[in-house]
Amino acid sequence: MQLKNRRNAALREIGTPLAAATCALLGQSAPGVVQAQELMPWDIDTSMLIYSESDGRVQDLSLNLWGRKELREDKFLGLTLAIDSLTGASPSGAMPANVVQTFTSPSGNSQYTVAPGEQALDTSFLDTRTALSASWEMPVARLGLLSVGANLSDEFDYTSTGVNARYARDFNNRNTTLSFGLALANDTVSPVGGSPIPFSPMLGLGDLRNKDGDQSKDVTDFLIGVSQVLNRHTIIQINYSLSQADGYLTDPYKLLSVVDPVTGNPVGGPPGSGRFGYLFESRPDTRDKQSVYALLKRNVGGDVLEVSYRYMTDDWDIDSHTIEARYRFNFGASRYLQPHVRFYQQSAANFYTTVLFAGAALPAYATADHRLGEFDGLTLGLKYGQETSRGSEWSARIEYYTQSGNASPGAAVGALANLDLYPDLNALIAQFSYKFGKR
Amino acid sequence: MKLVMKGVVGLLVPTAVALAGCARVEPWDRDVLARPDMQIVADPVEAAADEHIYFSKEASSGGQGFGGGGCGCN
Amino acid sequence: MAPQPAARPLLSRRGSGWLGVFQAMASPCEVHVGDADLATAERVVAIAAAEAHRIEAKFSRYRRGNIVDEINTAEGRPVVVDDETARLLDYAARLHELSDGKFDVTSGVLRRAWRFDGSDRVPTEEAVAALLPIVGWDKVRWSAPELTLPPGMEVDLGGIGKEYAVDSAAGLVRPVSARCLLNFGGDLLALGPQYGGAPWRVGIESVAEGGAVARHIDLTVGALATSGDSRRFLFKDGKRYGHVLDPRTGWPVVEAPRSVTVAAATCTEAGMLATLALLQGGAAEAFLEAQSVQFWALR
Repeated sequence: MQLKNRRNAALREIGTPLAAATCALLGQSAPGVVQAQELMPWDIDTSMLIYSESDGRVQDLSLNLWGRKELREDKFLGLTLAIDSLTGASPSGAMPANVVQTFTSPSGNSQYTVAPGEQALDTSFLDTRTALSASWEMPVARLGLLSVGANLSDEFDYTSTGVNARYARDFNNRNTTLSFGLALANDTVSPVGGSPIPFSPMLGLGDLRNKDGDQSKDVTDFLIGVSQVLNRHTIIQINYSLSQADGYLTDPYKLLSVVDPVTGNPVGGPPGSGRFGYLFESRPDTRDKQSVYALLKRNVGGDVLEVSYRYMTDDWDIDSHTIEARYRFNFGASRYLQPHVRFYQQSAANFYTTVLFAGAALPAYATADHRLGEFDGLTLGLKYGQETSRGSEWSARIEYYTQSGNASPGAAVGALANLDLYPDLNALIAQFSYKFGKR
Repeated sequence: MKLVMKGVVGLLVPTAVALAGCARVEPWDRDVLARPDMQIVADPVEAAADEHIYFSKEASSGGQGFGGGGCGCN
Repeated sequence: MAPQPAARPLLSRRGSGWLGVFQAMASPCEVHVGDADLATAERVVAIAAAEAHRIEAKFSRYRRGNIVDEINTAEGRPVVVDDETARLLDYAARLHELSDGKFDVTSGVLRRAWRFDGSDRVPTEEAVAALLPIVGWDKVRWSAPELTLPPGMEVDLGGIGKEYAVDSAAGLVRPVSARCLLNFGGDLLALGPQYGGAPWRVGIESVAEGGAVARHIDLTVGALATSGDSRRFLFKDGKRYGHVLDPRTGWPVVEAPRSVTVAAATCTEAGMLATLALLQGGAAEAFLEAQSVQFWALR
């Protein structure tokens, strides 16, 4: 004990005699000074994204800012800001017909017409969305990592607030990492003109008798995952997630056409409304989803191959498969080219129906929203990135996304057989990013 | 619960198979895995953009992390 | 490694100042001059390069005929050394004393048993033990200006040389310009801030490959020196042998950090503190905390 104290005392003394010895070596009379300050710079990533669908459909311009900073040793603060400006037209769920169709806009103050044979696109679809998120990440003991975060987003008719937490623990000499995550969100919908009573008919101009007030929903997400280093060049990750949504899950702007079961022509709407028969859609008020996701990333002689698969299934009877692959060709240490391909396939929700037939019993739930229908999606993309002499990096990518789907069986009766009941979706995505380097 | 069981089994089997085939990589051999382009999420900005796009155009979301959401686009 | 002829330093524009680059002591050397005047910059770089080459020629153990070679081939005979060498040997002796024998300029011969090439060729206990009789500063007779090494022993000033060269060059550069930063292979000294008072932005390299910057430091004045083992190690039977050897046993120090960077007024002092910290092995951080110096230890 005494010996250890003496040794510690000797260690404590070393600074002064060392400085004195160094002065003697260098022939300096007075000791110098040192002024060194560690910096914790912000890591900043900015990007601009353009999403553009063909046929006058949705256009989106998005600006994003992503920042991360080490505040104390190994404790990080993350902040993100995204601003989206949406314009263009979105399918309303009504089907094309051989006659002119007139629809009341969601606010009830105006109407729009659709020519015969044309898709029923609601053109009053424009909005700006702002989303903010903050996160805090810190180590826990030697092998753990905890991150907590909150997010907020706001648009004209929709607000979402949420919190999330994630804990990751390394095992096996840091070759294996187990993660658990939980996210809770509460969304409030304030549709323009009010939320329609489910299955109520579309009424004429200025008639808001079938509109109700604001609605809300709660979403809980749970994730468990493991990532594993296979060898010096390969890492894999497998995740299982559960998601439960509760509340208003209906799209307040979507409706279904009511047609004659033999001719396929639209039937008349409520007397005096001046409209054909369109009913606002209705979805269940709960949805349970599960998905399993697997990813493989491998270094191939300096290039990187990434392949992933996701299977999703829910209690609306939707099953989907997603396969995605990227191959990054690295040219030297500062340039890369990365092609990307994604295959997607989903089955229809059990209440998806292209049209409702007049005279038939109303189902419990119904939607004609293509996003809950049966379709395949394909994405082909190419990305190029380059590091600048200042240590920053910019990248540009262009992707082409196409969806083609099928109307529900038995829907193409009469006149509907010659109309496009499920138009393809073709979208071009372009994104330019600039990542500021720490020099 | 049947759904949950299917999901859990679907997760454990590939995990067991994968773990059986791995070497133990020491910290000083993590040079390749430490490269930015070898990270699980190499470009978070691109991943977030894609997640948002596919959330608003498809019925599935998430998988890799928490599924987008938080918008009136679906 | 054969001695290289001293090449002319290359000067290039860097911001509002100049950067001179040359090779010395098996390292890329940089001299950053904050002055916009080209003539001053050329003088500063020439002085720094000349001093670096002079020290290398005089103290490198690879050169034939210099003072170190004379000492190492004296075969037990006393050698009279000049004033500069005497000061370095005094310093080595004092470090040996202050470090309880862990810092030892006679431990260079251990490289005959240890070749840190990333393989699993760890020497046998006998091979290492066979070298111990010719390792140990206490076996040396040093009474300025006369140095007597027992036959077979060698002196290697490589552990002090680079940092000493930075300080020595800085001393010669100071009357010409104080707006300079000297960086000899990662050991650096700022004589003063850049033009306009802005500090020099330097980075500590990450221990993960890829050379990413782990820490960013704004250096206004003073020195930063780094001691580390980066890629020099052996690996056998699940055990890693770092290249920092304990001269008292001949075997590597256990549990040392991968890299230690220390900030001090002079490069020599910073370098010695970093080296002494590594020699403490697992207690490196505790040792540096006790010295009340700014340091960064990466594991």
